Amino acid sequence: MAESLLILVTKPPYGFEEAFAGLRAGLGMLASGQVSVSNALLVGEGTLNAIAAQKPEAVRMPSNAEAVNDLLDFEAKVYVVKEDLMELVGDVPLLEGVELIDWERARQVIDEHDMVTTF
Amino acid sequence: MKTMVIQVRSGTMMNMDTNVAVKLAQAALEKGYGVRVFGYGEAVTLVKNGQDPKRFPNVGKETKEMLEKGLEVVVCETCCKARGIARGEEIEGTKIGSLTNDMSRFVAEGDRMVTIAR
Repeated sequence: MAESLLILVTKPPYGFEEAFAGLRAGLGMLASGQVSVSNALLVGEGTLNAIAAQKPEAVRMPSNAEAVNDLLDFEAKVYVVKEDLMELVGDVPLLEGVELIDWERARQVIDEHDMVTTF
Repeated sequence: MKTMVIQVRSGTMMNMDTNVAVKLAQAALEKGYGVRVFGYGEAVTLVKNGQDPKRFPNVGKETKEMLEKGLEVVVCETCCKARGIARGEEIEGTKIGSLTNDMSRFVAEGDRMVTIAR
């Protein structure tokens, strides 16, 4: 029986459905009341979902920033792997509340959850 | 009985992901495990009734056969609506359900999750 789920997001926001779907899946777990812990770990291009200056209205798509903030509002943790983010875009402002971690900590985060699913 | 959750996100004719999901489910059922499949995104086509892929494997038919062996299959209603698949179009015994009610139940009651997607 799983008490915790980690949503591992590897895909960038917009252009793909996966990241938004994954963040919403995480929210759905918490909203259900059946899964007490549902956190997100953003890696690779998935780290771009944490960037503050997203402008989804430019592509008329739902906001991945809002999806991240909704998770945070439900007291989920949203981890962002710093090395991956820095390699892609450097030091840019992130959404308030996300937690920058290194890969060593990311491995621990994965290990701390009963189930992991990738988006 | 240990239960495996298979989350699949590819459509039935996109690639072999749904074929892999079905084969994995078959193998686990034969070994005596419980298996629950949640179709998300394009994978909602897994439960669409009347699939006729001609020379390709018919995953809908294979899924239907496994329902009698205890397989539970639920797909995301929001994803179905987005793709124009309505209730009543699903294979009998499968369910058009939701993340909040069904996938969360699968997670809470499951022992392992396998994600099949690209």
